[in-house]
Amino acid sequence: MRAILVDDELANLENLQILLIKNCPDVKVVATASTIDDAFEKINLHRPDLLFLDIQMGKTTGFDLLNQLGDKTFEVIFVTAYDNYGIQAVKFAALDYLLKPVDPDELIVAVSKAQDRIANKMSGEQLNFLINQIKRSEPAVPKIALPQQHEIRYVSVDDIVRCVADNTYTFFHLSSSEKILVSKPLKEYSDLLKPQGFVRSHQSHLVNPKFVKSWLKEDGGTLLMNNGDKIPVSKPNREIVKAILGK
Amino acid sequence: MCVDSSAKNVYYALGFPNQPHTSFNYLPEVNNLSIQINFRKNINIEQYRYSIIVDDTPIAVNKSIDKTKLKDTHAGGDEEIFSSTSLGVFPIKGKMITILGYSIDKPQDVDKTIFYGKLFFKSKINHIVKQFKTDKGFDYSHIANPKEKTDIKFDEKDDLLDIVKDISDIDNMYSLSIKDRLTDKIIFESRTWKFGGYQSKDNEPYPYVKIDKNVFKKSGDYEIIIQPSIDWTNCLDCDISSKEVEKYTSRYTLSITLDEENYTKKDFLLFSIIIGGLCGAIFVAILNNRKRKAKKKIDEEIKQKQTAQLQLNSVRSQLNPHFLFNALAGIQNLMNKNDTENANKYLSKFARLTRNVLESKELISLTEEKTLLYDYLQMEQLRFGFQYTINTQADLDTENIEIPAMLLQPLVENAVKHGITEKGKDGEIAISFEKQVSNLLLKITDNGSGFDATQTYDGLGLALSKNRISLLNTVYKDTPFILNIQSDTNGTTITITLSQWL
Repeated sequence: MRAILVDDELANLENLQILLIKNCPDVKVVATASTIDDAFEKINLHRPDLLFLDIQMGKTTGFDLLNQLGDKTFEVIFVTAYDNYGIQAVKFAALDYLLKPVDPDELIVAVSKAQDRIANKMSGEQLNFLINQIKRSEPAVPKIALPQQHEIRYVSVDDIVRCVADNTYTFFHLSSSEKILVSKPLKEYSDLLKPQGFVRSHQSHLVNPKFVKSWLKEDGGTLLMNNGDKIPVSKPNREIVKAILGK
Repeated sequence: MCVDSSAKNVYYALGFPNQPHTSFNYLPEVNNLSIQINFRKNINIEQYRYSIIVDDTPIAVNKSIDKTKLKDTHAGGDEEIFSSTSLGVFPIKGKMITILGYSIDKPQDVDKTIFYGKLFFKSKINHIVKQFKTDKGFDYSHIANPKEKTDIKFDEKDDLLDIVKDISDIDNMYSLSIKDRLTDKIIFESRTWKFGGYQSKDNEPYPYVKIDKNVFKKSGDYEIIIQPSIDWTNCLDCDISSKEVEKYTSRYTLSITLDEENYTKKDFLLFSIIIGGLCGAIFVAILNNRKRKAKKKIDEEIKQKQTAQLQLNSVRSQLNPHFLFNALAGIQNLMNKNDTENANKYLSKFARLTRNVLESKELISLTEEKTLLYDYLQMEQLRFGFQYTINTQADLDTENIEIPAMLLQPLVENAVKHGITEKGKDGEIAISFEKQVSNLLLKITDNGSGFDATQTYDGLGLALSKNRISLLNTVYKDTPFILNIQSDTNGTTITITLSQWL
């Protein structure tokens, strides 16, 4: 795998290069870049398989770089120190990221995942989705990328009725009555969707309040959904659920 | 009865109330009237007598039927065949012809038929008489020839009101009704005129109607209406309008003043409704008040919770600085020993821990908590070299059960610091996540030398945890967190029970 590393701090570029040499022999670093203009040229020149891309680089971002590039024939692993907004966007696009200082174990996992994705050639689509999401004006309802075995589903958050945990998997129930299984734990989507107004009513249930019809008192608290489904509310969550639903 | 074919407004066979064998025919626009008498076949006609009276003048008295003139007839289309004869043709316009007939077997049963060839007329109230109680019995007060509007006062002694009408030839065809002006409803109606109480100068009895005081429920205006009361539909070729009827209608207004108001069931109902409504309003007001109070209480609770939440946030973001800098020193040591691999590893762990504190997430999954505890314990292990285990009960859904972030770290830190630092490699810390019915038990056990659990230690770990748990209990009122500490010389077990958490 031919890789280009993009970061505005030299120390980070060196660190990552050393970690890759030590832990990921399959990755060959063909270039490093510390500005997005530099990166733009080098990417067009080298046509890498993989890009390690810092999100925040001075006044510019890694997203700006992606926006300038046309066809994205490479995989991206974002690398960031501490950037909730950027990470959030990356998570919505179901793309991969690493936190600085990079944990060698996490690096190994991320590289192996990238290898799998290169085989499936899905990342160009996801990257375009990410750029579009970033460009959106704030109040718009975001979409979320749900990776499936052979495709990525892009679902408007407004179309998600609820999510149900199945161990480390999550079932998405959509307003079209369709169910989508995603191999990530509910906690991950709970963290992503709570800021969108979703409420965790139960350890296994994340609910979109827009689809809640009423609060039933049965079993100490149950949510009746518009489609008639009943969702349990566990005791510790009762107050929070009530507060969010305004009951 | 036969009338000329040009006749209009022929009201026939109208019964008199309270007077059997009597019928009334209103023929205001008929000129000549032919009177025919029809006998049923079973009647003994020989015994029948009749009289004809025009106005007050009898023109035939107790005459018998001329049998030779009897003819069979269907009498207007009936199947029954009657024996019929004519009593003659009479000019009727402006006159009243009365036919009386009876059988000499039963002279008391007089059939009376009135043919009224005049127009109805407006009646007049002659007197209004109030009857009241006295010590001796009753007395009366009179209002003669009352005006269109008359004031009448009733006090408790008053009893009755007599409305005395002027005398006419057809009193019984008139009705008297009383309308409550307030509700526009007829509250009294009578066609039964009494005779005998009041007499004219000529000793003729005046017709009158007795009205009980209780008819008037409340003070106010009441309308006395006297008008001809015939079945205006029982008519041939009629064009009498209500306007026409109004011409024969007299109206008087009585302004009644009552000393004591009489109340009907309806009034009671009304009052009940009003009182009920009032009670309801008061109830609603009380309810609203209670709601307001409840809301106030809830608002206060929310405020309390928000305060607790804020405090929690600040408590949570306190990683012991002692630990922080010692951890960095540990990493420095690895670097200086050229153990870059471990330095990297521990640096990542350190980053993960501090990131978690900085992000100050409210809840994390048990899996995440476990990772953080591993990170922490591994870094401390680097310094002190003790043993540790983290056990999770098999059926616990660690991926999806959430607990407040960094709940155990201060207690684990406490176990490290006060428990096993002296023991070195023999030190052991065991952490377990267990389920007990719907309670979640988080247990930290060390084999250190223990401490007096009844004493308050200012050691940051315990104090921090106690403070945090009491704040958590403000937020999670229904699912209290219980901190239990057991300590002796063989070791310490600290348990946090999250009641009904699962």
